[in-house]
Amino acid sequence: MIHKKNKFLYYGSKLLIFIASVFVLSLIVFYISRLTPGDPLLSYYGERVEKMSVEEKNIAREKLGLNEPIYVQYGKWLKNAAHGNFGISYKYKQDVLDVISQRIANTLILGGIGYILIFIGALALGIICAWNEDKWVDKFLCKLGTFSCCIPEFWYSLLLILIFCVSLHWLPSSGAYSIGKSGDITDRILHLILPMAVVLLNHPWYYGYMVRNKLLDEIRADYVLLGKSKGQSKAKIMFGHCLRNIMPSYISLMAISVPHVIGGTYIVETVFAYPGLGTLSYESAKYADYNMLMVLCIMTGIVVIFFNMIGQIINECIDPRIRSIESLEDLGVSNS
Amino acid sequence: MGNILEIKNLSVSINGSGGRVQAVRDVSLSLHEGEVLALVGESGCGKSMLCKSIMHLLPKNAKIESGSIIAAGQDISHYSERDMRKLRGRLFSMIFQDPMTVLDPTMSVGAQIEEAVIHSNKKLNRVQRHNRVIELMELVGIDRAEERYRLYPYNFSGGMRQRSVMAMALAGNPRILLADEPTTALDVTIQAQIIDLLREIQIKLKTATILVSHDLGVVARAADRVAIMYAGKIVEIGTAEEIYYDPRHPYTWGLMRSLPAFSKGQDKLNTIPGMPPTLIDPPKGDAFACRNQYALGIDYEEMPPMFRISDTHFAATWLLDPRAPKIDRPIGGRLYG
Amino acid sequence: MAEVLLQIENLSHSFKLTKKLKLKAVDNVSFCIHKGEIFGLVGESGSGKSTLARCVMNIYKTQSGKIIYKGVDCTDKAGFKENKKMLQKDRQLIFQDNASSLNQKMRVCDIITEPMRIHHIKPPRGSYRAEAAFQLKYVGMDESYLDKYPSELSGGQRQRVAIARAVSMEPGLLVADEPIASLDVSIQAQIINLFKHLRQEHGFSILFIAHDLSMVEYLCDRVGVMYKGSLVELAPTEELYSNPLHPYTKALMSAIPVPDPLLEKKRRRIDFDAADFSLGGELVEVIPEHFVLKEQ
Repeated sequence: MIHKKNKFLYYGSKLLIFIASVFVLSLIVFYISRLTPGDPLLSYYGERVEKMSVEEKNIAREKLGLNEPIYVQYGKWLKNAAHGNFGISYKYKQDVLDVISQRIANTLILGGIGYILIFIGALALGIICAWNEDKWVDKFLCKLGTFSCCIPEFWYSLLLILIFCVSLHWLPSSGAYSIGKSGDITDRILHLILPMAVVLLNHPWYYGYMVRNKLLDEIRADYVLLGKSKGQSKAKIMFGHCLRNIMPSYISLMAISVPHVIGGTYIVETVFAYPGLGTLSYESAKYADYNMLMVLCIMTGIVVIFFNMIGQIINECIDPRIRSIESLEDLGVSNS
Repeated sequence: MGNILEIKNLSVSINGSGGRVQAVRDVSLSLHEGEVLALVGESGCGKSMLCKSIMHLLPKNAKIESGSIIAAGQDISHYSERDMRKLRGRLFSMIFQDPMTVLDPTMSVGAQIEEAVIHSNKKLNRVQRHNRVIELMELVGIDRAEERYRLYPYNFSGGMRQRSVMAMALAGNPRILLADEPTTALDVTIQAQIIDLLREIQIKLKTATILVSHDLGVVARAADRVAIMYAGKIVEIGTAEEIYYDPRHPYTWGLMRSLPAFSKGQDKLNTIPGMPPTLIDPPKGDAFACRNQYALGIDYEEMPPMFRISDTHFAATWLLDPRAPKIDRPIGGRLYG
Repeated sequence: MAEVLLQIENLSHSFKLTKKLKLKAVDNVSFCIHKGEIFGLVGESGSGKSTLARCVMNIYKTQSGKIIYKGVDCTDKAGFKENKKMLQKDRQLIFQDNASSLNQKMRVCDIITEPMRIHHIKPPRGSYRAEAAFQLKYVGMDESYLDKYPSELSGGQRQRVAIARAVSMEPGLLVADEPIASLDVSIQAQIINLFKHLRQEHGFSILFIAHDLSMVEYLCDRVGVMYKGSLVELAPTEELYSNPLHPYTKALMSAIPVPDPLLEKKRRRIDFDAADFSLGGELVEVIPEHFVLKEQ
């Protein structure tokens, strides 16, 4: 419950929980990445590793600081990270942050635009279904949604590639742009169509269904009857009252769903070899590129935790009980 | 006095899980200009359904089976939703039972009244609209209207909410007002205030009103005419004086006698034995027969027609047939001197 | 005068809304119920009637004040523990919402005998089933209902089952919290008759909470009027209805509709302005046995 005086304390405690969660997350990711099979030397030296002697390998490990016990390694990493130094990528032999900054724009475009389209699409779907409740449009969309939701993203991706790239040759199958055309916007858009289509085919149904059910709850409310008896049209009641009333919960739902969408984007990126953070994190895990993996995991984690908290805060802000207690104060019920 | 509303042989049914419920069965009724007609009956007798079918606000699984509804000279029983929308708020509007749920909780009361004002007259500008809202709020007895304009339903008490709903209903100067149990959810003192307000406004604006209630006491204060409903049918209709002082139908007797005021000083309250029938498969003959101590053989066989007692007073019971045996009526005359 | 069964002294109960804000639902209420008496409690919604009932039943922990039942102080932990069984058996509660106060998944037979099984009471009429059948008959329903589920019953029948369950413990005090509010007029009268019958046959004392004033007038021996958590007036029924003294009671009484259109249309209502009411004050005996809240 937010109280005017406690606001500072409230957000302070949220911030503390946030920092603590990120710390715990980094610890877990650090340990698990060390436990997974894979040789970081392979990503650093490539083919040459096979020709190296045991001694040479040991020296190389020493150089990368991989021979020390894990907790010492973690301590060192934490100390460097606190100074903004997250180490170098073994694979790209560049500062991790530099590699990420080259790729992040691609992910933001795919994920960001995808997210906005999901948000709008789900709303539209929900409204269409609720408007035509139990008519064939509603039934068809609900069935289609259930079907579409169940198909995994990678399978969808492969299917679309098969149809539009292999059979029809309409669209490029991978990458963010054709070679030598990195500045060409139409080319970039063409490359974006298929990954975006997969994101949109997979995600909005679930949220659309939630919107539909919430709207139907509202439509059953008595105030809709009053609106009708006032002579208002169905559209006015739907958009002026029902939709207005579900918006707060929809927004908080969408805030919580950010991680879900991110996860989906990563998979899609990987299948389409779209040079974004998804592909990067897949590679870093595959090649045991520890430093890269750490930063990517923590970044994703921060986004997830951050939006979960935003969702929570929105939820608590719109909790009607808080308002009703304030209204009691207005009415002078208090006599303590 | 002309009839503003005429219902002829109206039947409404609801498709439920247990089967088709015949909620309103062959009801004919007329509402005169500027009068208050009370519809009284127990829950499930179809009074609310009758009210909602007039405004075409029936739930999705209910439908008008047959009959006609003639409002202000036009048969509206087959009107489309679009046509009805033009009439709602202007020709007729409605007040509901629970003012708690009937208002949109997230919109200020003033804005909700303004919506009704906009619908009733689209030409008004912002200032005129605002003034009209304030005027309406004052009409229904919400004082400090300017301050309260911006308040939300949860800031209002039950009585205030019902007043706001009334303000909305009156925005378009409707000629017919349908009040569906407007006081049932309210406290006794508030209930009396709202009934008085309803009467006061009705006299001031000359709105013909249908007042649905289960409480004969409440109705006595406001009604010009009273119709008693049982099992989807009107069993007796007459002026308030006729119904209260000279009731003819055994169900009206039972309803009246079960009021504690008629049992003062008695050891037991008078009751009607048994329960109302389910209307999925209504009984042949008079639906009240099995609870009726005065039931005749024919009551179980044939539905009684409406017998005329006076120009305004009708009752559907075989007891009024000239061939029926004479019985001592258990009730009649004035209760208090 | 019959012996005192329940004595409530200076009972207060408040709900915490926020850290700072408290709602005083019951404020310094004192009254007693005699053996074999039907005591009515009336007031508008939110006046604290139901909270008081729950305090009397020890559902809410008493915050301040005393509840003495048959000489046992229920607010005293040790005293309560010692007499726990008696206190739980001897006071029974009947709720307003009979649809949710009966377990939908249990048969009528099991609902009625559940308190017996909880208290390990040997059914006096042989089997539990026979006992349930007896109690059911007692409240005016026949044996055919024993195997039905609450959803198959009407509102009035469910309320009868709830009453049968309460009565099966042969309690000294029945607390009925708005038992007729959700019923139809003709069914209300049936239930009221049942209460009257129970008192005559068994001599139960009943704390009857309602907002239907004319039913209370008919049924109760003495009536207390509650307003905003305080008991503002307390008198024998006839005295209270013919001579209400507190302005709120006057307004309440004048709001009772009279089923006589000519009279009713002419009658003037008395309004009560909440601003006229100030909290605090004490019940003063104005006329013998007629108490009114007077400001200090």
